[in-house]
Amino acid sequence: MHTKFKYLAMTALFLSASSAVCAMDLTKAYDMPDAAKMIKKDLFPAAKQYTMPKSCNLNDPKAIARGKYMFSNLNGKKAKKPAPEGLVKFVKKTGKDGKVKKKAKQFGNCVACHNIEGARGAGNIGPSLEGYKANFIDTKTRDAQFVYQKIADPRIDNPNTHMTVNLTTGLFTEQEICDFTAYIVSDKKKK
Amino acid sequence: MRKTILSLAFLSTMAMLQLNAGEQFAMSDADRAMYKEMLENNPADIFVEEGGEILEEALGGEEALAKFLGVSEKELPKYIAGFPRYVKKLGNVVGLDQVMQAMQVEQGKEKTKLKSGKMFSMLAYVKSLANDEVPNIDLSESHEKEAYALGKKTFMTKRGGRGLSCNACHSADIVGQVLRTQPLPDLGEVASGATWPAYRMTKSSLRTPQRRFQGCMKNALLKVIPIGSKEMVALEVYVTKLAQAKNKKISIPGLKR
Ligand code: HEC
Ligand code: HEC
Repeated sequence: MHTKFKYLAMTALFLSASSAVCAMDLTKAYDMPDAAKMIKKDLFPAAKQYTMPKSCNLNDPKAIARGKYMFSNLNGKKAKKPAPEGLVKFVKKTGKDGKVKKKAKQFGNCVACHNIEGARGAGNIGPSLEGYKANFIDTKTRDAQFVYQKIADPRIDNPNTHMTVNLTTGLFTEQEICDFTAYIVSDKKKK
Repeated sequence: MRKTILSLAFLSTMAMLQLNAGEQFAMSDADRAMYKEMLENNPADIFVEEGGEILEEALGGEEALAKFLGVSEKELPKYIAGFPRYVKKLGNVVGLDQVMQAMQVEQGKEKTKLKSGKMFSMLAYVKSLANDEVPNIDLSESHEKEAYALGKKTFMTKRGGRGLSCNACHSADIVGQVLRTQPLPDLGEVASGATWPAYRMTKSSLRTPQRRFQGCMKNALLKVIPIGSKEMVALEVYVTKLAQAKNKKISIPGLKR
């Protein structure tokens, strides 16, 4: 009994030792870090359809003022006038002295690609939005829902668009998309 | 001695940079002759040589490598031209750097980090053993086929803050256009899959293909994924196949702007 046990133990020892020499498991011997999770978190969200919310009041002068402010990039460091009601974004920056400061954040900047009434330094990657109401809304070529969707996620209208995606990416909130829409479809006096 | 070589390398780099800036336009015969000479004196040759020494001293050289991979020394170049490839005892499609790590572990040595100068040198040396071979990714092998599909998917995946994919800048319909003074390269035509590891002149160092991919990810705001991950290895398979499709020969170390 005793010798039999000893014999078994010896065999087991021998087997495990020889397997270590002959066929060491190398399937975990090298680095293969995981990237799948990183990529998944980094994915560009798919194009999404939106319905302009009922809460969008396109005739609200405050909404129009906010839309204009964001569209024209009058915000951020360059801001000369106080922001319209309900519209300042801040980022936290650590200064040289180590203190955390709130700084006005640059946002919007549609003017980088679009001309519009009174625009300064407008780009032309996107179409001019000057006279939008008369040209497109009054003629029923477009409606506010189209404009809302275009700004929220332009890929629904044009999958290969060069325009930025604003709602699906979380760059802006629903209310802010409403503000842009209100401004674009509003009656603007030429300055 | 080594210092002088390095500073010579640096000088030639500077000369090349200036040369390269003018390359888009016209090159004089004198410039062209100089360029040719630089190509023959790649500053990365030192690193490749160093990689060979490390392999020899620490792991037993090509003989040990061939044995580890289960091929004869004569078959080694062709076999290496098939990397990244499925290595049964490693259980995955792997890069040559991962093979080096497994060899180290098997020999009871410390594993060299994938993202380290020492590993870059070893990788460059081992890949250079396949110089003059055309890359040889074998899509009839099921694991490699799978890796190629993953590589293609990773290449096409739009991600990051701007929603860009590798394909956004390297697809057939856009190559040749200029992004901030840099013409967008056709990765098959410039033989990326056969010319990295390369000396990257703007970085004054030896860079591996996966390290190069990381550079594009960083610049284009895609989250930088780690060297050696399944997706990175798969990207290398995909990009290597692009060079193979154009019948380009492996030529390590490459010389890049
Ligand atoms: C990077 C360039 C770019 C930026 C930034 C940009 N756009 Fe556009 N926009 C375009 C392009 C290009 C089009 C043309 C249609 C298309 O390809 O989607 C367009 C179309 C539009 C249209 C539809 C016009 C029509 O009736 O056909 C609206 C409305 C619009 N943009 C509003 C905005 C607003 C509001 C912003 C800022 C939040 C903005 N855009 C930012 C490029 C841009
Ligand atoms: C925003 C544009 C852009 C994106 C996105 C991009 N690249 Fe590039 N890539 C470039 C440019 C420009 C160069 C040339 C730079 C140079 O000459 O130094 C380049 C060069 C390269 C090279 C070197 C080519 C050679 O000389 O051998 C490789 C390899 C490469 N890219 C792979 C990738 C991969 C893989 C991805 C995706 C993860 C990617 N790129 C995404 C713009 C981009």
